[in-house]
Amino acid sequence: MPIEKSDLLQGTLDMLILKIVTLGPIHGYGISQRLRQISKEVLLVQQGSLYPALHRLEKRGWLAAEWGESENGRQAKFYKLSARGKQQLKKEESNWNRLAGAVASILQTAQ
Amino acid sequence: MPSWRFPFRKRPLDPQYEAELCFHIEKLTDENIAAGMTPEEARRRAVLEFGGAEQIKEELRDVQRIRILETTLKNFQWALRFIRKSPSFSIVVILTLALGIGANSAVFSAIDAILLRPLPYPEGDRLIELQQVNQKVQRPQTRLAPPRLEDWNRLNSTFEGITGYYTEDDSETSGALPEKIKVAYVAPRFLQVFGVAPVLGRDINSGEEHFGGPNAILISDHLWRRRFAADPNVLAKQLRIHDSLWSIVGVMPASFAFPDRDTEAWLPVPPDAPYAQHREWGWFVAMGRLKPGVTVDQARSNLETVQAELGKQYPQTDADLTPGVVPLKETTISGVRGSLWMLFGAVSLLLLITCTNIVALLLARGTQRQHEISVRLSLGASRFMVVCQLLTESFVLALTGALVGLVVAGAASNVFRGLAKDFPRVEEIHLDGRIVLYTLVCSVFATLLCGLFPAFRCTRGNLSGALAQAGRSHVSGHTPLQWLLVGVQVALAVTLLGGAGLLLRSFQALGHVSPGFDPQNVLTFHITGSYGETVDLKKLRARITRTLDELRALPGVESAATSIFLPGVPNAYQNELTVSEGAADPNRKIVAETRIVSPSYFGTMRIPLLAGELCREDGNSFNVMVNRSFANAYFPGATVIGRHLQEPGNPLLPGGEIRGITGDAREEGLNREPGPAVYWCVSAPDPDPYYLVRARTEPTAMAAVLRRKIKEIEPARSVFDIIPLEEHLNDAFGENRLRTILLTFFAVTAVSLACIGLYGTLSYSVAARRREVGLRLALGALQGQIVKQFLLKGLAVTFLGCLAGWGLAAAFARVLSGMLYGVSPSDAATLLSVVLLMMLVAAFAALIPSLRAAHVDPMQVLREE
Repeated sequence: MPIEKSDLLQGTLDMLILKIVTLGPIHGYGISQRLRQISKEVLLVQQGSLYPALHRLEKRGWLAAEWGESENGRQAKFYKLSARGKQQLKKEESNWNRLAGAVASILQTAQ
Repeated sequence: MPSWRFPFRKRPLDPQYEAELCFHIEKLTDENIAAGMTPEEARRRAVLEFGGAEQIKEELRDVQRIRILETTLKNFQWALRFIRKSPSFSIVVILTLALGIGANSAVFSAIDAILLRPLPYPEGDRLIELQQVNQKVQRPQTRLAPPRLEDWNRLNSTFEGITGYYTEDDSETSGALPEKIKVAYVAPRFLQVFGVAPVLGRDINSGEEHFGGPNAILISDHLWRRRFAADPNVLAKQLRIHDSLWSIVGVMPASFAFPDRDTEAWLPVPPDAPYAQHREWGWFVAMGRLKPGVTVDQARSNLETVQAELGKQYPQTDADLTPGVVPLKETTISGVRGSLWMLFGAVSLLLLITCTNIVALLLARGTQRQHEISVRLSLGASRFMVVCQLLTESFVLALTGALVGLVVAGAASNVFRGLAKDFPRVEEIHLDGRIVLYTLVCSVFATLLCGLFPAFRCTRGNLSGALAQAGRSHVSGHTPLQWLLVGVQVALAVTLLGGAGLLLRSFQALGHVSPGFDPQNVLTFHITGSYGETVDLKKLRARITRTLDELRALPGVESAATSIFLPGVPNAYQNELTVSEGAADPNRKIVAETRIVSPSYFGTMRIPLLAGELCREDGNSFNVMVNRSFANAYFPGATVIGRHLQEPGNPLLPGGEIRGITGDAREEGLNREPGPAVYWCVSAPDPDPYYLVRARTEPTAMAAVLRRKIKEIEPARSVFDIIPLEEHLNDAFGENRLRTILLTFFAVTAVSLACIGLYGTLSYSVAARRREVGLRLALGALQGQIVKQFLLKGLAVTFLGCLAGWGLAAAFARVLSGMLYGVSPSDAATLLSVVLLMMLVAAFAALIPSLRAAHVDPMQVLREE
């Protein structure tokens, strides 16, 4: 069953976006495609959540954005990771891993 | 969360949102086409899949929108809650700030009213005071002769009008008793130049400004209320001055107090009167109103040209003269500028100390709130938001402090008005919008000064660390910053205390000078006289001599004298003299302080006769007395008695024979070493000299007796300004006393604040190290050691602050140098005692928390572990 936005913590979405953007400048449509592909259709992020998240991350200075030409020759807004975004991602990843590890071990122990 | 929408708000980013979202929809459409749909179908599906584009755009706008209003409101709510939750902390901060800001606003209100605002006349900055200056004589600046005033007014091209005035204390005799009123005798155009009209009646008209025209007088609001009970029909009434009746033609507004608050009437001096035609006689303090756009320099060069022309026309009287041109405001206020800025500097230092104190409080508070702040940051608040919130708290505190401060300022400026009653324009001091605005600016300034640093400091650092140690020990024992702040406070307090110390020392020194005369039990007063009496000098002398004889005959009166000046009240009147027999050193100019006194003056003032005999007054030739300094300076080793002195250029004083040598007295002011002085023995030098009466007992008790006697012998004259000489001397140094009192008050407040700061920081440090102290006590440390440790810490910081303060005080004492007497600005004894005093007070402040540290119960601490 696909997980929709309401089930996804906001911080988690931010982290996922930052992670995807590490791969290189990418526009909003590309991000939503990647999310879907990589998560094997599990994560369905509504555009209603994606774009505000992108703008929020840009405003915080974690993403840098510029307008450029897309693969089909149209103007699109490309996002890329800033230096501060990189740090933030690192922090969030390690937090996430710790949390996930802890949750996993609890689940295992309780079985 | 309600979002604040501004319908009129510009949306410059909308096209970008549109483009970005459109691109997404187009990509989806492409995708659908690739999946085999028709373009229309593909587009429809894409739009459907994408969802509400408008809604997304609104959300994007929300992201960009800085929700200033909403966030600010929220922050204010939090700030108010914070203040409610910690009332004692908040009250301390608010009261401290109220004191600091209130004192600052009070002094600023005085500075604003006295120094900054234009004079209270329409376009008062265009009013200029004019003098005639002769650089070739001892006192170059003199009053303007009436014909010259008229010439300047007629010939210049830069003034709208030039006028002038002089004042006289006259008797008004239309009532049952003669009453003294201070009259300003004014040149034509007086009210036009000031741009002020009477509130009742009219200005003096041109007919009344001519010799032989009708007698007209303007009266002050005060006289109108006092004498005529604010009668609207006053214009029909008359006043009797100098045996003539003067019809009241106008009542001036209460706000018009020129030349001073005591002036009660304005009388025109006709420029065409025969007695007003002498170009040698300086009568008027002149003033002009500049034409719009004319600068003071332009006016000066214009008048210089005019006067140069007059010099050619009247070489005898006008060749050496040049005009003196100074803004009227400058001549009004220049005397008190130094004192006021000095006080402003002092209150600003005080405010700085207050803020430093609060920084320390907020830092301590912030450490306690570290946990709360960490939680907020970890929940996603940006550091900027938290800083804003902390600043809002400081601002609410500062604003409340400022509002209470306004009340303090109101009270303080009332006190100031009382203390500084001799300051110019002091009646213009009041709290108004400008002061409120200034106070608000102060509070913003205080917010930034107090709040910014703690806010950044408290939001800095490691989140997880703070969260992890939450609940254990909220505070850290390392407080170098707080100690630095204590040091700064001590340094600033020592600076202020040093200044106050120097002023106090000079005040004390002034009280201990031996003036060379005895001011005790001497009563001074005036008896009205008018310059018209100078027409018959013999009669004038007879009147004054008779008055003096009658006064001496009164029981309780030891002696009575007249003098032009009061001894000891600062007033220099230096003149160049020549000696008929030739000076001892022909190359040396003889310059001496000139006093004109009755022969009885020396006995009355108890100035000893050292050689020769007392001068006499026979009406034919003049007698002169000189003081010891004069004899020693100009005739060392030679006889001075019997020589004849002349004042060149003064036709009124022909040569006088030196009859004797007196002791040195501080005639020119208690704060001046006596220099060479010459006393001309003339009892009636002018119709209104000072009368000096030495009573056998307390002099004020004599006032009623004196009044009765004068009433008996001179029924048409009034006695006024009956004041003991000692009070005159006190008043003469009133400004001195005022700044000493205020600076001392500020310094004491500063020291108290610094001690509170020291006490607070040390207490905090003791609380933070409770566990450590408990353990050490448990391990056998002596209580004395603990006390010593904390006490030394406090004293070391105080000492370093004192050293810095010494340096600051030495630097700032330069500001005071003109205000000191008998003590040098770098007086080590004063500064040393200031430092010792500070250390002593600080030791007390540090002792309490140190003792508390030693009484930590080890068992209790260990149990808490």
